[in-house]
Amino acid sequence: SRPVSSPPTRRKAASRTAPDQTPESEPSSKGKAPSAAAAAAMESVEALVAHIQGLSGSADELAQLHGLLKQADGDALRAHSAGLLPFLSHLHPGAHSLGYLYLLDSFVSSSANLRAHAGGDLLVTVADFLTSCSADQIRMAPDKFLNVCRVLKNEVMQLNAPIRGIAPLRAAVRKIQTSSEQLTPLHAEYLMLCLLAKQYKAGLSVLEDDIFEVDQPKDLFLYCYYGAMIYIGLKKFRKALELLHNAVTAPMSSLNAITVEAYKKYVLVSLIQSGQVPSFPKYTSSTAQRNLKNHTQIYVDLSTCYGTGSYSDLETFIQSNAEAFQTDNNFGLVKQVLSSMYKRNIQRLTQTYLTLSLEDIASSVQLNTPKEAEMHVLRMIEDGEIHATINQKDGMVSFNEDPEQYKSSEMVEHIDSSIQRLMALSKKLTSIDQNISCDHAFLMKVSSSDLQMYFSFLPLCCPLLFSNKCE
Amino acid sequence: LSLSGNKTSKAARILLKSHNLRGQNPRPPTSHRRRSPPPPPPMDLSAVHAALSAKSYSAIATLCDDLFLQVASRGVATDDWPYAVHLLGHLYLNDLNSARFLWKTVPQEVKDAHPELGAIWKIGQCLWNRDYAGVYTSAQAFEWGPEISDFVTAFLESYRKRIFELLTSAYTTISIADVAHFMGMSEEDATNYAVQNGWSLDVATKMLTVRKQKPQTNQKLDASKLQRLTECVFHLEH
Repeated sequence: SRPVSSPPTRRKAASRTAPDQTPESEPSSKGKAPSAAAAAAMESVEALVAHIQGLSGSADELAQLHGLLKQADGDALRAHSAGLLPFLSHLHPGAHSLGYLYLLDSFVSSSANLRAHAGGDLLVTVADFLTSCSADQIRMAPDKFLNVCRVLKNEVMQLNAPIRGIAPLRAAVRKIQTSSEQLTPLHAEYLMLCLLAKQYKAGLSVLEDDIFEVDQPKDLFLYCYYGAMIYIGLKKFRKALELLHNAVTAPMSSLNAITVEAYKKYVLVSLIQSGQVPSFPKYTSSTAQRNLKNHTQIYVDLSTCYGTGSYSDLETFIQSNAEAFQTDNNFGLVKQVLSSMYKRNIQRLTQTYLTLSLEDIASSVQLNTPKEAEMHVLRMIEDGEIHATINQKDGMVSFNEDPEQYKSSEMVEHIDSSIQRLMALSKKLTSIDQNISCDHAFLMKVSSSDLQMYFSFLPLCCPLLFSNKCE
Repeated sequence: LSLSGNKTSKAARILLKSHNLRGQNPRPPTSHRRRSPPPPPPMDLSAVHAALSAKSYSAIATLCDDLFLQVASRGVATDDWPYAVHLLGHLYLNDLNSARFLWKTVPQEVKDAHPELGAIWKIGQCLWNRDYAGVYTSAQAFEWGPEISDFVTAFLESYRKRIFELLTSAYTTISIADVAHFMGMSEEDATNYAVQNGWSLDVATKMLTVRKQKPQTNQKLDASKLQRLTECVFHLEH
């Protein structure tokens, strides 16, 4: 390893420290006089720090450093983890990320250390590291990185200040992701902090990417569930439904609690968004299809009641089951379902009538006065939920066609980008299909006669299979 | 903070001494006393003040959101955060969800100490409850501080414009009284405003007839679209 440079001025500065403080009388950060073993350990940590400073340049050096760090990990670092914190100030979180990570991970893995520094600037140190670390370096030790993030999350939760973890974790997700299509365990933790801190818009930055790679099913379920809750908070019900749909239809061999909760919200959001709950698509797991409704009976009953179109009946049903909805933390959403009833009934009128008096609207949807009906229609026009105009002179409402003619260049752009997205998706699907048909496990499962039939169709759809590209 | 500073500096001094003996040298400390990172600087709100002076009001909400997260991650106490400006920033964009969530996270002590914040929230409540006239009365009822009063005025102007556009698209005929109510103006002022925008007045029935705006749609297509269409057809063929 390269020797660390030593300008002479530093020696002078060091000698100006108080002469009466000797190592023997000086308490270590643990409060006891350092023993010979501890001093030796400090020595080895110093040596390690020197290595980190020297070897954080090129990829080869980093590989060598990584080996040294892995050797040191374990007794050398963990036994004396309490004394590691001051060493961190010798290192730069951006340039020496790998080494910094090892020391930091060792330090925060001990709950004694965390308790000793609770409320201090340890969290700021961790936050700074997460924001400024080098993505290439930390990806060499992903488990340690995840551990440090988890500790940060737990600490901010203990301090009852989830907002403190949002900016650092947002940076951390981008550092550990190998591509924007990869789902990491950090996604769900980040979304949870956003929900707790009520920073819903902050959650959007992570939800905008399409996810194609998932390692752990639990990550996916939590990501879909928390992500849907973020969208619900922002009243983006259509996007919430997409995520809830994924959570409900994902492959599963046994029912899990996240899916059950997701289904409850799925029912409620479907009612708000489109007035009905769609049936399970064919690709839903049989476990979900058979068991979900049994665990969510009042929600199924709610959707039946909603279907009758009567505001008062629905209100009564909700009152009598209020406690159950409260326990599920869904009461707010249920109230939104109730208030969507007026909107739904008015929208239904547009299918039958071209014009209707405000009085008739009021009586038809069970509102008290024509003025109330007018205010409801106005609100729906403001929110873009209906195309109508109100004629106060005659007390009439005219229901209009959607004025969008799909001819404007904005609309063309929109359709265009959707087509591009679909084409990219289709290409991705083809390549996944090709990979599966090369997969050993798949070929083993398929019987030989099926295989013959399969191969006879194959040249038509997967020409690449017969080249050397398949591995 | 000072306690942990002392502890680390003592450890640092042993370090210095021991390094000295072995001939290895640490990075030069910025001062003799401190090894731990310097205390976080007080909140840097210059960007917010700059946006306010430049009257770029639509940018305030995003600016405040990002800055708030940065400040929070450094553990700085947020009692002096300009919540009123932040909240008004959301109302300016008609982002009532963000406004509601922000209000929910403000600690009660801060709410009590800053009546201006409560007054902004009252406006937000009127917006949420669609109390169209209440927005004006609550905005005009409070004595605003110098920095925020321009912002409030700008907000009211943009709100009035938005409501007028809503009335234009939602109504074919509407009574003068209602227009005055929605616009927070006297009946005379409301009538003049409407007539200036091309609406016609029927004095006998006190009704205004709305003049609809023809929507401006851009329908120019250019040659690059042809390329895209080709790609699309090619993809479908294969």
